[in-house]
Amino acid sequence: MNAHGTRASGGPRAVGDAMPPMVRRVTQVDIDRYADATGDLNPIHVDPDYAATGPFGKTIGHGLMTLAYAAEMLNRWTGGRFDEVGEIEVTFIGPVFVEDTIRLGAEVTDILQNGTAVCALTCTAGDRRILVGTVRLPNQDNKEANHGA
Amino acid sequence: MADYTTFNEIAVGDRFPETPLQFDVTESRVRDFLNATGNTDPAYGPESGRAPSMLAAVYLVDLLKARNSPPGGIHAKQSIRFSRALRVGERLSLSGEVVEKYVRRDRPYVVSGFTAADESGAVVASGTITSIWGRGE
Repeated sequence: MNAHGTRASGGPRAVGDAMPPMVRRVTQVDIDRYADATGDLNPIHVDPDYAATGPFGKTIGHGLMTLAYAAEMLNRWTGGRFDEVGEIEVTFIGPVFVEDTIRLGAEVTDILQNGTAVCALTCTAGDRRILVGTVRLPNQDNKEANHGA
Repeated sequence: MADYTTFNEIAVGDRFPETPLQFDVTESRVRDFLNATGNTDPAYGPESGRAPSMLAAVYLVDLLKARNSPPGGIHAKQSIRFSRALRVGERLSLSGEVVEKYVRRDRPYVVSGFTAADESGAVVASGTITSIWGRGE
């Protein structure tokens, strides 16, 4: 068992290993709650009337909210290792619209010589791409060396 | 408009804020963040003393506000590297600096680096934020 109360048997071990996907429907209640918790009250997120006049025509979720979902998923997959030594780099491609159902997934694309797992991260809403990115999960037994690699 | 920092005014090397921000990893902040993201992972909370590293999403908002950017900006890219898990009750010191600015496809981009350090000065998280700078329209 580990800090997350889960077995450490999962997680990225070999190229092709895939994380159990996370599927979430994003509602205005979710967005409002996130805005209150983070203090990001940009009207494009929380004011449907304002957002209706903007480029998207309706409210959108915060980019970092999607990243928070990804972090939860990665920690469950790795037994908390992402919190401790993880690295993530993402490009936000498209917005998460209110009432979207998003699907987050990750798959190991490489295992470096030092044991660091490199994973491709994706998030989609139907046919639309929301973000793409890379996650690096150093071998925790030797994280200093791995971070310097 | 005059209250905001325009793309022409912001420069590589600008630090924000002038003195590091203090951010307390309180039990209520952790609870609110977990509730807001629907995260029910039992690893977090007052019993374990562990806080989610992505609480960075909260302190980055505070840090980004210090840049005083105009409305209409878009969060284009984000990178974060965590050095250890956060602990409930600790205080972080946050600082940011503009590391790059450029125009691509008529869009003004600003890249900001940030660090979050604990009370001993050890970095617990660092990274970059790439923003399409708002035009204040």
